Amino acid sequence: MWSIPERLAATPPHKIMSEDLATLRQEIEDTPLGTEEAIDGFRIRFLSRKQGVITALMKRIPDIAPENRKTYGQDVNALKQRVEARLEEAQQALSSSNAPGTDQTDITLPGRVVPEGSLHPLTQTMDLIVHAFSSYGFQIAEGTEIEDDWHNFTALNFPEDHPARDMQDTFFIEEGKTLLRTHTSPVQIRVMKSQPPPVRVIVPGRVYRNEAISYKSYCLFHQVEGLYVDQGVSMADLKHILHAFARTLFGHDVRMRFRPSFFPFTEPSAEVDIWWPDPDLPGGGRWLEILGCGMVDPNVLEAVDVDPEVYTGYAFGMGVERIAMLRYGIDDIRTLYENDVRFLKQFKS
Amino acid sequence: MIISANWLSAYVHHGLGIDALENLLTMCGLEVDGLEQIGSDLDGVVIGQIEHTAPHPNADRLTCCTVSLGTGNPLQIVCGAPNVAKGQRVPVATVGTTLLLPDRNDPARKTPVTLKKVKLRGEFSEGMICAEDELGLSDNHDGIMVLPGDAPVGESFARWLAEQRVSVHDHAIDVAITPNRPDAISHIGVARDVAALVASPLRLPEVAVPEPGGAAADRISIDIEAPELCHRYVGMVVTGVRIGESPAWLKQRLTAVGLRPRNNVVDITNFVMHECGQPLHAFDLAMVEGRRIRVRATRTEQAFVTLDDKERRLPEGTLMICDGAREVAIAGVMGGQNSEVTDETTDVLIESAWFEPSSIRRTAKALSLQTDASYRFERGVDPTGQAWAAARAAQLMCELAGGTLVDGMVDAHPTPYEPRSVHVRGERARAIIGVDIPVERVEGLLAAIGCTPVRLEKDGFPGQDTPVWDVTLPPYRPDMEREIDVIEEIARLHGYDNIPEPERSSIPNFTPDPDLERGLKARVRSQLASRGFREIYTNSMLPVEKAQAFLDPALPAGQLGERVVETLNPITTEMAALRPSLLPGALDAIRFNRNHGRRGVRFFELGRVHVRKQSDRSVIDGFTEIETLLLAASGVWKKQGWTGSERDVDIFDIKGHVEAIFASLRLVGVRFLPADGPFPQLARMEWDNTYMGIIGCTYASDVTGQAVCFAELDWDAVSAAALSLGTVRFERISRYPRVDRDLALVVNKQVPVGTLLADIVEAGGDLLMDASVFDVFEGGQLSEKERSVAFSLTFGAHRTLRDNDVDTAVTRILEAVATKHGAQLRA
Repeated sequence: MWSIPERLAATPPHKIMSEDLATLRQEIEDTPLGTEEAIDGFRIRFLSRKQGVITALMKRIPDIAPENRKTYGQDVNALKQRVEARLEEAQQALSSSNAPGTDQTDITLPGRVVPEGSLHPLTQTMDLIVHAFSSYGFQIAEGTEIEDDWHNFTALNFPEDHPARDMQDTFFIEEGKTLLRTHTSPVQIRVMKSQPPPVRVIVPGRVYRNEAISYKSYCLFHQVEGLYVDQGVSMADLKHILHAFARTLFGHDVRMRFRPSFFPFTEPSAEVDIWWPDPDLPGGGRWLEILGCGMVDPNVLEAVDVDPEVYTGYAFGMGVERIAMLRYGIDDIRTLYENDVRFLKQFKS
Repeated sequence: MIISANWLSAYVHHGLGIDALENLLTMCGLEVDGLEQIGSDLDGVVIGQIEHTAPHPNADRLTCCTVSLGTGNPLQIVCGAPNVAKGQRVPVATVGTTLLLPDRNDPARKTPVTLKKVKLRGEFSEGMICAEDELGLSDNHDGIMVLPGDAPVGESFARWLAEQRVSVHDHAIDVAITPNRPDAISHIGVARDVAALVASPLRLPEVAVPEPGGAAADRISIDIEAPELCHRYVGMVVTGVRIGESPAWLKQRLTAVGLRPRNNVVDITNFVMHECGQPLHAFDLAMVEGRRIRVRATRTEQAFVTLDDKERRLPEGTLMICDGAREVAIAGVMGGQNSEVTDETTDVLIESAWFEPSSIRRTAKALSLQTDASYRFERGVDPTGQAWAAARAAQLMCELAGGTLVDGMVDAHPTPYEPRSVHVRGERARAIIGVDIPVERVEGLLAAIGCTPVRLEKDGFPGQDTPVWDVTLPPYRPDMEREIDVIEEIARLHGYDNIPEPERSSIPNFTPDPDLERGLKARVRSQLASRGFREIYTNSMLPVEKAQAFLDPALPAGQLGERVVETLNPITTEMAALRPSLLPGALDAIRFNRNHGRRGVRFFELGRVHVRKQSDRSVIDGFTEIETLLLAASGVWKKQGWTGSERDVDIFDIKGHVEAIFASLRLVGVRFLPADGPFPQLARMEWDNTYMGIIGCTYASDVTGQAVCFAELDWDAVSAAALSLGTVRFERISRYPRVDRDLALVVNKQVPVGTLLADIVEAGGDLLMDASVFDVFEGGQLSEKERSVAFSLTFGAHRTLRDNDVDTAVTRILEAVATKHGAQLRA
């Protein structure tokens, strides 16, 4: 059988006998195609570009006497179609034998491992906060971590030599001039300097405090700051937006309270607590502080050339670590900066 | 600051339980940070008399006492105190009594213990004779408490204590005082807020304040030589005091707020300070040379020994109290050893002054010495309260220390207090607070904290529907100055919880710009997380030497001429500099995990890095801060599994991920330029001739002993480049078939494949749609200097390509690589 191509090649075109084609046809019909290997061999024998039998027959067409060419072409083409049809049938038969229940694959073997990554819990918490305020129409702004004294303190109404400056232990870089920002509030000043009211921004970022490192404080942490300055903004509006936020973060039943506090750059100032149920505590829970806020102090507006008689505004700021620790039940802030994979892998992306 | 609940009740009848009081304080801005019960109710403790003592047969230090409680049957009690003696009247805790007993090693820790009848070394003991600390009256555990001879035997000890003005139990309320509330750093100050909120009068002790002058002026003269730093100095003199222990009630007051009683005179000055907020100092008048007090600032740096026996270096300009010859106290901070009250003191000079807050704050900071006095002075004490406080102390010294008041006082008062007032508009208050508070309520609240609101004629204020007040401000509220300060008080006293939330709020009619950069960042973060990288957050601060080691010109922040940013006041040298790269933090994280047995990690971090250098990105002059994105991987990259074997990470793993990031940002044609630097396999990345970051490997042997492959991208540059591309423009998809061609080129090994590929792309022209490397082969029939690189090329166009179109392009490519690199088609 294998001699056919050679014989065909050697045979002058007009001598190619229809019997030869019939022999081929027989071979095409009879070759068993039960395995991948058999199918591949069949395809190569007939259709391979270099040595395929059909390919060789096709190449001879120009040599065929014109009067026979049409018949020859039709015959060869019919053979080719038969080859292709058989290939297709065989493929289908083979793949249907891979159908459930008919194959030998042990599907209980584990799949190929796709490595698992994760987003840091601080990123996830920050995104949650920022998305909440974005949906209330706040724009996002960012500032630099190295700041000057004027933006970090003076413009925010921290008097020189005033105990208010002790509220935030500061890392200085140049005495009395350059420092690591102690809060994201200097971005309030930078934003208001760069655009007239209305200003409605949210400012996420890293801040630094020169405090002893312990389970509850680290030398740096992250804040999200908010600022809204416009005509007719009141403390009632502030309560509204923060209550909306608390519901987003802690659920619709959240209980919150506002209590008076002090920040140099807001007046009146407040701290906001949420009720954290805990059946193990007497009273069934406790109040936990989640953020500080207040009405923008007129001195701050004047520092950025905004008329406090025309515009009022509110500002608020919260610690991302604190909220992340609450959300996930983390009891040591240092865990967040240790980057232990056994910790990180608990927070999926 | 600790407030004693019992002490507070002396000034206001509030009728609140301790929880309600805690809530009221917290909700008016005096946040309660902690609440501690002091003492138990002492039920079961009765006064007994020791009728007989005998040494314990089996223990040298114990005594067997027979104690009568006034009933028929005396008790036998074994006692270990050294001072126990026959005839003493003593507090006896009987069987069944529960006492809060202090831990011997940590007296602040107390455990409730219920007494039982026990056998001590073979002898029965039916109760306990108590020391003061066991009763919660003080920290004293020197011996049992011995009561006066007239204490009635058999009476309840608690009732007897009450008759001595000592309460059996109390609460120490730890109040967090914000810097704006100097008025509240005292019991009367806190009571004033409580009184205002429960609408009950504030009750102050009766004090006879003398007129200036009198005999006192003959005893002492006061000169204020620095009137700008000391607005007022009141001196009063008490003679013939007997220094001794304070009575129990006074000691209990001080102990309750965390002070240790010393002697009656010093205890009285502390008591008055905690009562009204005015710090006082008591000098031994005999030690005040020349009977003269001068207040002045030092002109040179000098040494001074304070009454805690420490020598302190005083900077120039420190405000001092001097007598006729020398310094006797650091004004507002601490008295001197040379003039303090001692057991021999008989005549006392009471100082009650007003010092300029910022001066006291500077001194306290310079000396690192914060005292109860400096804490109050630097926040601002009541400028009108000096005479009252001095008179109150003098009165108590007469009452409790047997002294005699020298008539009159010296009141040096170069800067008299001017009453202050401010206009407050009702409408402004409503605009800020967002709610209408009835006029009468506003006036009532303000009056309760000592303001005097006077309604002004409406005619003067057109357009105001609500009253305008002229509010006279209380002298003890230096924080109240402006209209907004008064509005804050109105809101605070009205209660923030009483401000209703609006049903709806409007938002300004503008559309926030989308934060595209943040969007990209979020996308890259989640892509990396889904490709198996874990996000880390590392400390921005590290040791200076370490920071310097990573201050490399190759790194994103690195350029020639920069320096590490250092802080002037680091917590430790371990954190004295700011990171110039995210790499050191990641190496620490890798080391940490390796030490905890993890064999392979892949991390990423997005964060800011800092160098000291002026650049076009400087926001603060002299500093450059940029955001970078770090990828770092070490150890096992692909785990052993049933489908394949394990292998470690190499640079092409990281490069693949970096290329994926660039591809997702549509930054096509990023070039990786081999670079020299401290790391092997280092390359700079550039796009459109702009620096995008570096990629490399490091073998930090101290870290892992294993290669760490990393890339640090200049995220600011990368995001700016990505955003410069704008929105995607759709490209029509060709309906015509593409033509694939493979080329295997033999080329000198020195020719970088990246360069070869770039040149192929360039020479390929418009028809070349895609080009990739699918094989690199060395050896075989190739010479040692050569390698074969196989490229897969795809051609296409919006028409049917003819063979010679493709042939022409391929020929052009072959000519280009032959000319530039001597590359030949592989035979």
